[in-house]
Amino acid sequence: MPSPASALAIDAREVAKTFRSGWLRPRETAALRGATLAVPRGAIVGLLGPNGAGKTTFLSILATLLIPDRGTVRVLGLDVVRDSMALRRRLNMASGRPSFLWSLRVAEIVAFYGRLYGLSGAALRARVDALIEQYELTPYRRVPYSELSTGLKQRVALAKSLVNDPELLFLDEPTLGLDPDVSMRVRAHIAALRRERGVTILLTTHYMREAEELCDEVAFIKAGRILDAGTPDELKRRIGLGDVIALRLEPAVPAWLAEAPGVLRCASADGWTKCTVDDAEKRLPDLLRQLFAEGVTVRNVRVREPELEEVFVELAR
Amino acid sequence: MSWRADLLAVWAVVVRNALMASRNVFFFFELLFWPIVGVVSIGLMTKFLGITPAQASFVLIGTIALSVVNVCQLEVAYAVLMDVWSKSIKHQFLAPIGIRHLTVGSWVVGMVRGSLLFTLLAVLAWWAFDFRVLAAGGGAVGLFLFGCFLNAWIVGVFVCALITLFGNRAEAFAWASVNLVLVLAGIYYPVSVLPEPAATLARAIPLTYFLDAYRSHFGFASEFAAPIATGLALSVVYAVVAHLAFYASVQRARRTGLLLKMSE
Repeated sequence: MPSPASALAIDAREVAKTFRSGWLRPRETAALRGATLAVPRGAIVGLLGPNGAGKTTFLSILATLLIPDRGTVRVLGLDVVRDSMALRRRLNMASGRPSFLWSLRVAEIVAFYGRLYGLSGAALRARVDALIEQYELTPYRRVPYSELSTGLKQRVALAKSLVNDPELLFLDEPTLGLDPDVSMRVRAHIAALRRERGVTILLTTHYMREAEELCDEVAFIKAGRILDAGTPDELKRRIGLGDVIALRLEPAVPAWLAEAPGVLRCASADGWTKCTVDDAEKRLPDLLRQLFAEGVTVRNVRVREPELEEVFVELAR
Repeated sequence: MSWRADLLAVWAVVVRNALMASRNVFFFFELLFWPIVGVVSIGLMTKFLGITPAQASFVLIGTIALSVVNVCQLEVAYAVLMDVWSKSIKHQFLAPIGIRHLTVGSWVVGMVRGSLLFTLLAVLAWWAFDFRVLAAGGGAVGLFLFGCFLNAWIVGVFVCALITLFGNRAEAFAWASVNLVLVLAGIYYPVSVLPEPAATLARAIPLTYFLDAYRSHFGFASEFAAPIATGLALSVVYAVVAHLAFYASVQRARRTGLLLKMSE
């Protein structure tokens, strides 16, 4: 059942955006062609899609940085064009390729944006200190931004994005180019934001494992349209990828196997018979029972759930 | 937005610009090197040409005004330029602030730098060429400086508008535009010597009137009636137009995506 509008942090309908460039030979690039997305309050939602699909454009419209050509966009109950100033107080954004004023130091960057959001005096100092500590930036607080590593810059971006205690946070590829251990820490921070502060998060990522680990729901965008949205499990079911049951059988594959209830398809390779079923937990006992009944020896069994990456490949095709 | 939030946003820009200014070697050249070179070279030229002390003061007032307006105007343009150079402009416009906070905050720093520069050049002109800039009295000096700062603010805001309209390509305006204004405003000569179309343009520039009023304290007959009032009235009109232009170009940048292109 769809969520009522008041329960939605983002309610974007039929959003279109075309970029125009060139004076002598004008070119048009349709970045969004009627994208529709609903994000419940307090959820972490991943916006996934191939390069050039319109992810950053969509995020930028939702964050009031771009004005859409068409469609209605309400964020936290406010219109992104008409109420943009009021909305900006309640949201923030960080990207995986952050950039701030080079010669400002870490603490100065966070403090600068803190002042822009109305913090001052002891409240500002406390907020800056807390964010610097939270993102393990204490040893770097007096280091100029230009001298920081990529991972540290990303942590500064995350600290800056929380300076106004936002209700809604946009993260554009937050772990892009980070070492695995740093990525894990950033993901833990993102999960903690929702858990501890109830922040709604919309993030874009190319890492499917990240989306699967963090997101309650994912939306696939391609060529400026949202193709599908839901929980990772719902999407896997809807796409019909199913679970894979790999069997080592002796003798060879019985003819009925491909026609058994719940089996979507079967293929054999390298001595393994791989059956894609709608639900492994439900179908495996019946399959094994039937195989035993027919005298087939089951030498090995492996069950694998499909990964989000496979959904991505299927939808991006 | 409450007045407190307004002040805080302006203060944020003041602190940022001041910190950046204190750490950039180019700011040293802007504040000291080029202005000192300008006053010394023009002063020596007046000696070589053997012009009267009154004529020398006429030219030196123009030289000092040029430096003050230039330094203050660049500081206002830095409200946008520094973020464009560091590709961080989107964060500035993601925050709940208006363009007035950017332009006023950077203008405050520009006025501080301009006042420091004026003091330095006044001392230099007195020491090297026996030209007493402050002889006109505190009130006249204050009005003249305020007029210079108003002009710098207007030009700086127009430069910000051009940068958000055309992107990095418009960067050259930051350095070039003020010189065009100063040539027309009669920096080294009375505007009456300009050919007619240029003289008409000169009469549309507020700085023309502030220069005219200040020079009248050094024995030059004023070319305009009520120059200070005219200069202030024109400045108010241009300041409003400049801010409307800046606002419109930011909105356009939000529509065209230029704001994102100029960011990370």
